[in-house]
Amino acid sequence: MRLRLSALTRVEGEGALEVYLEDGKPKALRLSIYEPPRFIEGILKGKPYHLIPDITARICGICPVAYQMSGVQAIEDAFGVEVPKEIEKIRRLMYFGEWIQSHALHVFFLHLPDFYGVPSLVEMSKVDKEIVMAGMEIKRAGSLIIQSLGGRTSHPVSVVAGGFSHLPEDLSHLIEPIGLALEKSLWVMERLKGLKFPDFELKDIVFVSLWEEEYPILKGDIYFEGQRIRPSSFKEIFEEFEVPYSTAKHAKLRDGRVYLVGPLARFNNAFEKLSSLAKEMALRLGLVPPLKNPYKSLLVRMLEIIHSLERSLDIVKGYKRPEKSLVEFRPKRSEGFGVSEAPRGVLWHNYAFDEEGRILKADIVPPTAQNLPAMELSLWEHIKGLENMREEDLQDMAEPMIRNFDPCISCATHFLRVRIKNRP
Amino acid sequence: MRVGVFKFSSCDGCQLAFFELEEEFFKFSEIVSIEYFLEAQSANRWGFFDLAFVEGSVSTPEEEERIRKIRESCRFLIAIGACAVSGGIQSARNFEDFLSLYSSVYSQKYDVNPQSRPLSDFVKVDLEIRGCPINKEHLREVLMAFLENRSANLPSYPLCLECKRKAIPCVMVAYQRPCLGPITMAGCGALCPSFKRGCYGCYGPIENPNLLALKEAYERLGIEEEDLRELLRLSFNGFNKNIRSWL
Repeated sequence: MRLRLSALTRVEGEGALEVYLEDGKPKALRLSIYEPPRFIEGILKGKPYHLIPDITARICGICPVAYQMSGVQAIEDAFGVEVPKEIEKIRRLMYFGEWIQSHALHVFFLHLPDFYGVPSLVEMSKVDKEIVMAGMEIKRAGSLIIQSLGGRTSHPVSVVAGGFSHLPEDLSHLIEPIGLALEKSLWVMERLKGLKFPDFELKDIVFVSLWEEEYPILKGDIYFEGQRIRPSSFKEIFEEFEVPYSTAKHAKLRDGRVYLVGPLARFNNAFEKLSSLAKEMALRLGLVPPLKNPYKSLLVRMLEIIHSLERSLDIVKGYKRPEKSLVEFRPKRSEGFGVSEAPRGVLWHNYAFDEEGRILKADIVPPTAQNLPAMELSLWEHIKGLENMREEDLQDMAEPMIRNFDPCISCATHFLRVRIKNRP
Repeated sequence: MRVGVFKFSSCDGCQLAFFELEEEFFKFSEIVSIEYFLEAQSANRWGFFDLAFVEGSVSTPEEEERIRKIRESCRFLIAIGACAVSGGIQSARNFEDFLSLYSSVYSQKYDVNPQSRPLSDFVKVDLEIRGCPINKEHLREVLMAFLENRSANLPSYPLCLECKRKAIPCVMVAYQRPCLGPITMAGCGALCPSFKRGCYGCYGPIENPNLLALKEAYERLGIEEEDLRELLRLSFNGFNKNIRSWL
């Protein structure tokens, strides 16, 4: 017998969940992703390199900056471009803006209603208006940072290989909203202390994040279990594979182990590098690595918001427009890798270019594809002991677990290779 | 008023404009009944909609069927964003040989159309909100217009007017950079020119774009016709009815 939850709600993109029963007990499950593939990598082939940030941004409306940053860094890696530290700092600021707004979107619009037992943030606003308004304030600060540096929150226009097409004279107008959002975030954390989190622990899952001097966000080696791996060796350690029921690929370690990227992995691998307020708050809430309860990823996203706001405030206060916003370079025949920490985890880009900088090969591994096996495994652990499951219970039972992982299904599906059944 | 928000092939970015409205979104949902919006709520109902907002392009047989079903179930159908209006970035594949482009194809699991097309290729669309992504001001204006029973006041003129109005130097004149502004619908606030780059067309072509004049202007910058066509095919709106036959 098969139970089916045909459309997941309050997640980004389209997916379904199927549970197979035998004698009333769960026998297997699959997270079936039916979001249509958009062939972005195929479209990039033969096109000039400078289109990468604008086109790959469109893989995801929620984390476009992540795609732009991994993308331009791959171009810079290929063409041997060194971006000055002062420009890199502004990239970090823009990326913090995206973490703030994407995390706030997930925490407040998608995730928190589960803990209040309501179907949406709109309903939540009738029960606890104060926390909802605080959430809006926090999200707005993130959006404002991206808008100031790139014109708009989703698909900003200023990010180019070598730096920015243009940078603003002044960012001091951001100090007040960031400061306010920081205050609100600390207040929200105090409120969330009282939430009840279901007992559940991830089992046998490897936490994978980037390694930077600071809490990882913009670049670095890939890190897990004390090992550091160059981005160019990513595919030697991790394997992407297709599953017959999903338009999104899955990924595992080549030794077969399931791994997790994203806030929990970063927290567990780089806790010491969180900003002082974030770390203080973590300790106050008793959050220390290894943190394995995926429900508590809600709190970790809030900690990362606090971290991002605190760091952003420093950068904004010290901001002086660089004399040059852009490093000049020439394309050459070469290959490059770019990797960064999207809000949902490690986002890996790889391109090969010809002499003129036209794209010969494009390969992108988004965080959600990497997290799908961990999601399925956790769902399985969550439901395997249940008896007499009914289809109508599936939504309440399974969706909150799925939301813990903040899947971005639009991201996970951009690259699928398919067999074409219809011809015009 | 019963409202539905639907997603087709897209990046999810245009639906976010509802969230970007923040407090106004909550106020709005007090006045109307949001019956279907998978990304925003876990309780959804498919009945009859007075307003159906549709994000994304039609790129699978399932989507062809679903857009017709939505059309039958709604009074006004509003296409939001470049995917719904023109087919989106994924429609760049419409200009290439799909089979040779995907010669590395090996899986059999998904039924996908060779072309990504705008909603209006399948059903009647009552109103378009342009942009990749749309901006929340336009969404607010459309919502207000329906609530006040009037027509929405959205731009119908090219981007160049926005640059002039904001006194942004023309990037084609000042920096000799290509810009699609002369044929692109205004509405973004001339973002790219204000960041010293040419418009890349994400609000889509105006009606009756003067492509011949644009071609001549590009020739003066030393850009050949084929390169202009490539820019338009990759403008996130290449399969828009106003320009597709030229590409």
